[in-house]
Amino acid sequence: MSQPAEIYACIHATEFPAQALLRLRPELSKQPCVVMEGEPPLQQVCSLNRRARALGIMRGMTQVEMDTFSGVSVLRRSLSEEAATKAALLECAGGFSPRVEDRSDNTAFLSVIDIAGTRALFGSPETLAQNLLHHIRALGITASTAVSSNFHAAVALAKGLPAQTAKVVPTGEESTALASLPLTVLDLNAQQAEIFSLWGIRTLGMLGALPEKELIARMGQSGKRLRESARGEMSHLFLPLEPAFHLTERMELDSPVEVLDALLFVVNLMLDQLIRRATARILALASVSITLTLEGGATFTRTVRPALPSDDRQLWLKLLHLDLDAHPPQAAILAVTLDAEPGSTSKVQLGLFSPQLPEPSRLDVTLARISAIVGDGNVGRAVLTDTHQPDGFRMEPFSVPSSEPSESPYPPLRPAMRRLRPAEAAFVTITNERPITFVFRDRRYTVEYAYGPWLTGGEWWSATLWGCEQWDLVARAQDGAILCCCLIRDLLSDQWKMVDLYD
Amino acid sequence: MTEQYIELHAASAFSFLQAASPPEDLIERAVALEMPAMALLDHNGVYGSARFHTSAQRNSLRAHIGAEVSVSSFGPRLTPPAWLPHQHNNEPTRLPLLCASRIGYQNLCQLITQFKMRESTKCDGAATFDDLGQYASGLVCLTGGDEGPLAAALTHSGETAGRETVEQLTRIFGRENVYVEVQRHQEREEEWRNQAAIRIAHSLKLPVIATNGVRYATTYEREIHDLFTAILHHVELDQAGRLLAINSQRHLRSAQEMAALFRDVPGAIENTVHLSSRLDFELSDLGYEFPLYPVPDGETMDSFLRKRVAEGVERRYGPKNNPGLMARAKKQVEHELALIAKLGFEGYFLIVWDIICFCKRNDILVQGRGSAANSAVCYALEITAIDPVEMELLFERFLSESRKEWPDIDLDLPSEDKREQAIQYVYQRYGELGAAMTANVITYRGKSAARETGKALGFDEDTLGRLASLVGQWEWRGATDTMAHSFHHAGFDIQHPRIAKYLELSMRIQDLPRHLGQHSGGMVICQGQLNHVVPLERASMPGRTVVQWDKEDCADLGLIKVDLLGLGMMAVLKDCLELIPEHYGERVDLAQLPQDDEVYRTLQQADTVGMFQVESRAQMASLPRNHPDRFYDLVVQVAIIRPGPIIGQMMHPYMRRRQKKEAVTYPHPSLEPVLKRTLGVPLFQEQLLRIAMTVANFSGAEADELRRAVGMRRSWERMKNLEVKLRAGMAANGIDLKTQDTIVQNISSFALYGFPESHAASFALIAYASAYFKVKYLAAFTCAILNNQPMGFYSAAVLVKDAQRHGLRVKPIDVQASDWPCTIEHESDGSLSLRIGIGYAKSLSRFAADALVASRRSEGLFRSAEDLAQRVPSLNRNELTRLAQIGALNQLDSIRHRRDALWQVERAGKLEGPLFRRDSESLREDSVALPLQQMNIEERLVADYAGTGLTVGKHPMYYRRPELRRSNILSAQELRTRRDGEQVRVAGCIIARQRPGTAKGFIFISMEDETGIANVIVTPDLYERDRSVVTRSRFLLVEGPLQNQDNVIHVKATRLTVLSDRALEVQSHDFH
Repeated sequence: MSQPAEIYACIHATEFPAQALLRLRPELSKQPCVVMEGEPPLQQVCSLNRRARALGIMRGMTQVEMDTFSGVSVLRRSLSEEAATKAALLECAGGFSPRVEDRSDNTAFLSVIDIAGTRALFGSPETLAQNLLHHIRALGITASTAVSSNFHAAVALAKGLPAQTAKVVPTGEESTALASLPLTVLDLNAQQAEIFSLWGIRTLGMLGALPEKELIARMGQSGKRLRESARGEMSHLFLPLEPAFHLTERMELDSPVEVLDALLFVVNLMLDQLIRRATARILALASVSITLTLEGGATFTRTVRPALPSDDRQLWLKLLHLDLDAHPPQAAILAVTLDAEPGSTSKVQLGLFSPQLPEPSRLDVTLARISAIVGDGNVGRAVLTDTHQPDGFRMEPFSVPSSEPSESPYPPLRPAMRRLRPAEAAFVTITNERPITFVFRDRRYTVEYAYGPWLTGGEWWSATLWGCEQWDLVARAQDGAILCCCLIRDLLSDQWKMVDLYD
Repeated sequence: MTEQYIELHAASAFSFLQAASPPEDLIERAVALEMPAMALLDHNGVYGSARFHTSAQRNSLRAHIGAEVSVSSFGPRLTPPAWLPHQHNNEPTRLPLLCASRIGYQNLCQLITQFKMRESTKCDGAATFDDLGQYASGLVCLTGGDEGPLAAALTHSGETAGRETVEQLTRIFGRENVYVEVQRHQEREEEWRNQAAIRIAHSLKLPVIATNGVRYATTYEREIHDLFTAILHHVELDQAGRLLAINSQRHLRSAQEMAALFRDVPGAIENTVHLSSRLDFELSDLGYEFPLYPVPDGETMDSFLRKRVAEGVERRYGPKNNPGLMARAKKQVEHELALIAKLGFEGYFLIVWDIICFCKRNDILVQGRGSAANSAVCYALEITAIDPVEMELLFERFLSESRKEWPDIDLDLPSEDKREQAIQYVYQRYGELGAAMTANVITYRGKSAARETGKALGFDEDTLGRLASLVGQWEWRGATDTMAHSFHHAGFDIQHPRIAKYLELSMRIQDLPRHLGQHSGGMVICQGQLNHVVPLERASMPGRTVVQWDKEDCADLGLIKVDLLGLGMMAVLKDCLELIPEHYGERVDLAQLPQDDEVYRTLQQADTVGMFQVESRAQMASLPRNHPDRFYDLVVQVAIIRPGPIIGQMMHPYMRRRQKKEAVTYPHPSLEPVLKRTLGVPLFQEQLLRIAMTVANFSGAEADELRRAVGMRRSWERMKNLEVKLRAGMAANGIDLKTQDTIVQNISSFALYGFPESHAASFALIAYASAYFKVKYLAAFTCAILNNQPMGFYSAAVLVKDAQRHGLRVKPIDVQASDWPCTIEHESDGSLSLRIGIGYAKSLSRFAADALVASRRSEGLFRSAEDLAQRVPSLNRNELTRLAQIGALNQLDSIRHRRDALWQVERAGKLEGPLFRRDSESLREDSVALPLQQMNIEERLVADYAGTGLTVGKHPMYYRRPELRRSNILSAQELRTRRDGEQVRVAGCIIARQRPGTAKGFIFISMEDETGIANVIVTPDLYERDRSVVTRSRFLLVEGPLQNQDNVIHVKATRLTVLSDRALEVQSHDFH
């Protein structure tokens, strides 16, 4: 059986960020529009429509430069709308052939459809190209299409064509068809672009006309490839889009479920499916997100991520159970979706002489239990941070220590101090900016000795600025009891708190 | 009794990035707190002491001098304990030392110099116990705060170690010179160390002293201090953590505050006053001695100098054959020598004479400038080239008896190598501790401030780069050229709190010191003992040492200095003196250049591109009016286009009188002899002196004091006193009140004058020489000036086009003919032409170019691109491409045009190895046909400008002329034929944009076309409207009325349009 002749159709849509946004905003398409990306106030124009370009607006302009143009609609770039538009375009392409290769970049949509053998279904290449253009137009996108039996010729031609045009190159005439196109339709690197510019080579025709052997002597194999591309002679290994590997299971429940156990029964089955699919690819589950659709239309999502990927269904079930126990949904459940991320099953090898550690999966369950009780972010080890701020610390997940702990860093013979967590309110009377009396835990104390104020403050450059003064006090209650303590005054809110009691 | 407290431990911003306030701010705050004295202890130096001292004197405060010296022998300074996360590095502890006497100060300077110079590169350095022991005498030592050795010892090893540290200090400095220091910054950790320190002091019977370890004047500057800390450690503020200050308590505190803080430590406050009274030394008591010059046995410096001067007078005045002048010269020299001897300056003059002798021996062109040119002694010693006797210059401007300042001699040398040679000679002659460069304190400016603050606040590099490129560069700044405006233009929202803080901090650190650099040419000389006067340290340039004070500080403290300045035009003149005999066969002597009418005619026509001092836009605009026809006119010309005369409204009256449009009058008849030369308009500093001497009977010294008072902006009070005296003198001479006002007004407007007459004369001499060489020996002058770029006002491209318009043939770079520098070639018709040197090919290494020239000389011309690549392997692919692109390979046999060369070098740059090459048959290229098209005109122009920055071909505007003519657009030449007021259109390539400080926001644009240069004036309004057209475009079309006044031609722009490059492309295509 003979191989069917190759034939490709290429779709190219420029200014994709702008087109994707304007597609659903037809009222804007008649006026100049730009799309900006980046964090305010440092946004830059990343895409624009024709009317905006006519005003002299260019990519890379800043907000301030944009302010000098009046009557321009400024939109923020939306990656999600772009993704949706792209999905629609690919779906449209897929309607003509299952073999589609996506070659889009940051600001342009480009895909190539392998249309070999579709003549009977969609007619001649010319008809197909027009239909394709028509379908794309119906999606609200302006593009150009080119059909050629050479993949790269189709791509180059589509890039070089004006919008809303379709062109079919008869086999064998690629070189002629490409000749007048500028070199920018090829993906040149900076060095190649510089060399061709020095040589005065501006079109594919000029490039294609260079003698091959001499060109290779100067630019190597990449020169040869560019020359073949320019002549429409470059061969291509088609890489069709593959459906992505998503580990997702969804189930609509027959009746609203309010009891967690009932839900877990379903979840168990779904987990089993997910683990089977993962193990088939020699993978395990690294994380599982459970999304519950609740009565009233709300959704509720929780994610469980143990220390190591696992394919132990019981473990996953336990972890999900504990997590949902700690964070129960607030309404009856109508549907449940499980999304899993696959992860490698490789085990962490511990040293022969390393201390015996609990089994990771059991430790994960224990930690999840603790976390369910004390709350997220409160499990792990506390680590001091590099700041003068009192109580500056952060929580880190437990990890296997990489080195021997150093000897006890705490110098001996310090007086003992009891930290009050949280700090307790105290009502303080001050005279000459010094505390004189205070009320703490419903008892009134008179200050006998006051040491301080110890002043600290920082982060004056940001909204998180802080400042406080501390007083070490020896105070006496009315009944004669002595209290040695540390009072702290937040200078921003002017509030006094008791933070320490000294023994 | 109110308490008294004296801050004895304060650092200024001259502790580079470790403290936040300039010395003046500390003094200002001390005055506000009614502190009678204060000490400045900067880190490892006395960098800020001169300014601290000057400012304190002005405010009648006693300034104690000292330093916080790093001492490695005590081990590392205190850092947070290891269990706390922090980023502190290990640094040596710092010992605060105060100078009790001049000996102490000299010891401190020697101590710092000793450990600084021990390092081989520029770095902090640290002292050892041995160093301290060697130079302890006269110094008082405090035990320091957190940074000190006591705190470190207490924290690391406890109280016993602390006591041992203090005892070590008493062994070094003596018991009576050690004070146990306590500081209270309301930090809990600090207090237990204080208690331990007090116990140690009691046990050793040492006095306790309170200080605040000041790092800034007021608490508000803590922010700057934190910012500097972040910059110093190259971290962002958000990440700096414990590197930053814990609170803002290291400011100058009042006596009441300190007394309250230290109420429980008896004597701590009183001891500050007691110690202050012990510190006798002040910087005015520097003990600096005039340098000596070694003279032969049997001679004194005075007799030796007299002999050299007498020889000089014969040599200088003998050939002039003017007995009257000779007699006047001898008398003047005698007068000067007597004063020099009286002031003890013989050594200084001999030292400068010695440098001049060295330069002459080594064929280095040198000329003194500045006020030294007023001295007949300097002229006789050949330090200067202007004869002050003949020109009747006023000696008192240079040297006067009552001046506390040393005379200042500036020497101009050809830049770079020759200047370095002279500097190294001085080092070698006076020893490492005998001579050093003056420092140049690098301070934060708009760009650096914005960049470093931005980095500390965590902004990314791209954004900062964008901002830095927008910070205004104009000399004149309009209302919108603020930093806030730049921020806004860079896309920042200045309402955003963090950005508002960024802007605020960037503005607050303006002018604060960043680091110490070296001055380009200022040298301090002191016969082997400079390190007694000021610490020396290594400069970043190898083989250079630098003192810790800048030029002004040295002058304020009366240190003698010689400025060895690089002046590009001196190098040009020097090159001309070699090129002219070689190529023209004529000998020229710079000292004997004839006064030539043709040269003056050229000057009168303002045809002065490339000429020294008279080539700027403003100079060109005034030359036709001034119409110079003798040397003195040139002296005036050099001096008059300065901010002073323009702001003082002297320029226009002078010009009107010069053109005989206004009568020459004098403010008072007695001033006629003084002002006659400048047509009754006072222009020079010497005239100011003479006016005061004439109308108010001031002595020469008093008159000079008046000049200095006027020159210093801050001395209004002194100025007022002198004005009273001046008016009294004038009244006594019967001068009426109105005339007095005029004279006072004249004198006041000298405030911004740049030039003394002698200086102008020195510059005019160089200006005339450059004009003479350009007019008479164009090829040599152009060759020399192109070989000494960058210099002057115009780019090489403009200089080449100007030379071509004057008839010089300029030939392109050619690997078969060019050397690294530009050279002169002899044409077959006997004329001279200029060959551009390979040095003008951008991004071509000197090494490869030298190899190319050497190969051509030894093995003959290159035969092909391949031959070139093989014979000069150091030429890389990019360099070969560059040469091909600019047409430098076009003379190779096998090459027909630039593209052909590019095609061939791309191959030649990738040659096979020798083994493979043996099989040469298989490598032969099949086609002999050239696959690439020749460059068109536009491509050639672009390649020329991109590759060399200039073109020797036709001016780009030439190719557009037919199109321009069709649109009624004139050339620069045609403008001259148009009437004043006529509406014109003119186009050209912008070669210079200027916004002078004196022009109230007006912008002057010079545009060049193939016929010459056209001048355009842009009003501030138009600039605001078309800012980007003015600042960014290269080719410009200007419409507006022509102004032609006295042959000075401008177009006053009413409309500006960018001439797009595309138009050029279209036009050039029309030719094919």
